[in-house]
Amino acid sequence: PPSCWLFCSPLLPSPLTPALSPHRCHPPPSALSTPPSPGEGGEFRKQRPRGTQQGHHLQRNMAGAGGGNDIQWCFSQVKGAVDDDVAEADIISTVEFNHSGELLATGDKGGRVVIFQQEQENKIQSHSRGEYNVYSTFQSHEPEFDYLKSLEIEEKINKIRWLPQKNAAQFLLSTNDKTIKLWKISERDKRPEGYNLKEEDGRYRDPTTVTTLRVPVFRPMDLMVEASPRRIFANAHTYHINSISINSDYETYLSADDLRINLWHLEITDRSFNIVDIKPANMEELTEVITAAEFHPNSCNTFVYSSSKGTIRLCDMRASALCDRHSKLFEEPEDPSNRSFFSEIISSISDVKFSHSGRYMMTRDYLSVKIWDLNMENRPVETYQVHEYLRSKLCSLYENDCIFDKFECCWNGSDSVVMTGSYNNFFRMFDRNTKRDITLEASRENNKPRTVLKPRKVCASGKRKKDEISVDSLDFNKKILHTAWHPKENIIAVATTNNLYIFQDKV
Amino acid sequence: MLGKGEKRKFDEHEDGLEGKIVSPSDGPSKVSYTLQRQTIFNISLMKLYNHRPLTEPSLQKTVLINNMLRRIQEELKQEGSLRPVLAAAASPPPDSLSASYREAPAVLSAPAPPPPALASDLGSTTPLEACLTPASLLEDDNDAPFCTSPAAPPAAPARLPAPAPPPEKDSFSSALDEIEELCPTSTSPGAAAAAPDTSRGGSGAPSVPRPDDPKLMDSLPGNFEITTSTGFLTDLTLDDILFADIDTSMYDFDPCTSAAGTASKMAPVSADDLLKTLAPYSSQPVAPSQPFKMDLTELDHIMEVLVGS
Repeated sequence: PPSCWLFCSPLLPSPLTPALSPHRCHPPPSALSTPPSPGEGGEFRKQRPRGTQQGHHLQRNMAGAGGGNDIQWCFSQVKGAVDDDVAEADIISTVEFNHSGELLATGDKGGRVVIFQQEQENKIQSHSRGEYNVYSTFQSHEPEFDYLKSLEIEEKINKIRWLPQKNAAQFLLSTNDKTIKLWKISERDKRPEGYNLKEEDGRYRDPTTVTTLRVPVFRPMDLMVEASPRRIFANAHTYHINSISINSDYETYLSADDLRINLWHLEITDRSFNIVDIKPANMEELTEVITAAEFHPNSCNTFVYSSSKGTIRLCDMRASALCDRHSKLFEEPEDPSNRSFFSEIISSISDVKFSHSGRYMMTRDYLSVKIWDLNMENRPVETYQVHEYLRSKLCSLYENDCIFDKFECCWNGSDSVVMTGSYNNFFRMFDRNTKRDITLEASRENNKPRTVLKPRKVCASGKRKKDEISVDSLDFNKKILHTAWHPKENIIAVATTNNLYIFQDKV
Repeated sequence: MLGKGEKRKFDEHEDGLEGKIVSPSDGPSKVSYTLQRQTIFNISLMKLYNHRPLTEPSLQKTVLINNMLRRIQEELKQEGSLRPVLAAAASPPPDSLSASYREAPAVLSAPAPPPPALASDLGSTTPLEACLTPASLLEDDNDAPFCTSPAAPPAAPARLPAPAPPPEKDSFSSALDEIEELCPTSTSPGAAAAAPDTSRGGSGAPSVPRPDDPKLMDSLPGNFEITTSTGFLTDLTLDDILFADIDTSMYDFDPCTSAAGTASKMAPVSADDLLKTLAPYSSQPVAPSQPFKMDLTELDHIMEVLVGS
């Protein structure tokens, strides 16, 4: 059956409808969840074969980006509007796979979350992996207005983090600049029928017309996916939240803004503990802000946070309640030959991610990706240049603000390859074992499924070879800031400004 | 500028700026280095001033731009060191760097003029009081951290914390006087002059833009190469400062600079914070623990006069 698109169910007056807080269940349609063919408005119920919800995933060979086991990346899908006129609300602001990889969540500038679910693999057609189709879409955050400062609080979703699945429902945390919300996404495929006092459409019957009694029974229905906010963690951040990270105890999580990091318990919304505070007594002395923070994947007492000066601090919550003194400070001495006015700005770390193993962490600054061994603080163990050809353009990039772009980075499931985005809708992968790297482009031109992507190359200077792109031809409005790698397979999600691309390795 | 994937012509100027990353000591390239530095300085200023967002500006971006300005100022200071760097330090319109610093927190920091960024870099400990400036009316400008104190020439490593004029003084009148002293014929805003300020030695700089008054430049030993800044800064007039929206966030104070605390933070904004944030809207200053650096009633009076005239 053709895949239909799914929206939240409306609030029906039924005692069995879970209590939903008064949030809009009919968000303005996100372009990501709009079907390519003109569809009908309103809500759809997904036609879906009954069966197990969880797909199974074969453990594929986690080959790297280069080398003997050269992985060949193929276009799989693209979501989003085709036209170049980008609606601001459709700008994708975060992308995240869940722990099994079956679900892929995106957040956008309009405060919406769209969740895609991977189709169960078709055993007959084993040459293709399951496609990702819209599973749920909901309005996570609304714009607010801070009356005291006369400023808007953006509804843009800064980060989404999935909780590991404990029961049938899925949970995720989504955050904008000020407020974090815990969302429960649950499926409903049965509904009660045969009430005595209500008609099937919900209208109440006149009790005098009831002549017989019957027991309501559950009958199968078309699958419906509902999202409901379960917790709202608000009013704990004076500055803009840039990171959230769930602890390995799955009970607590941290949220970090420019100057502070707070520790929360998932069950408790009216209280949070401040664990890092770098706000100076006099704000005029402020020279450094927190840019990202993450819990260690295995040690529930350890977390790191990065700064705008290119340092990473590892903190142990057992040391003291307020972790203002780091346990470790990771900082690479500046290379004097590369010194420029922009040294500090390009050293500002835009993302920090632990490896799955927990032994390494990766940081992204403007021009490079660095891998750090947690046991060595004075320099990274590996450094990969993402777009070194931009070093001579820093002044222009400063002028047009591109130098402040915050690129994210991610590991593959086996920690052997890392990926990050660049400009011109390019993204880069670095194989840590073979030391090979590749540049690919997310573009609708390579639109056919199973088309192998052609490697791209940027020509820094001098004679431009055929098929190379010169630095001056790069489109700096087309930036890939958010990428995600499936935790188990070679499937990647790459977000351009308003489109989501899914690539897979060639099967 | 880098465009949308279109081929662009070779831009000599830009290449001149970008192609070379030179050190100041490099003789023949010193000019291009200086030019580059000045351009970056101007760009940084424009970024801070022209941005009027509906939402709060990014604190990280603001901090980075601010640091850039500070660094350039420090360099200029060490190099030139004979002329107050403030010639290049324009006063920002109210939504300035420091304003955005102060806008960022819901509870804002004390409107103390900054300890001189340079002074602190140079290791001196200038007491806060010495940061008061004569033009404290335009205090949101003074808070711009890159405003350096008009140190006495030659650049002394330590700054003398000269006693600042008492806050009760009619600071605005004195500022106007100084302006007239400095540039009696100039149409551009002469800020509190370098010369009188030098005697004060305070660190907080007059925030009004100070163009490179040719008279001043000649009067001071050494030449200062901020020639391109003149044209830029004279575009800003005193009107921009006085008639632009006054950023009242300077009246807000940060009640809890204390340790963020082992204790858990209560989620809602405390009544204390609210009270202080609302202070500017009342005519009497709410009595916080920290002293006002600004006389509110005087400000109101002056605004009436200016608007009425």
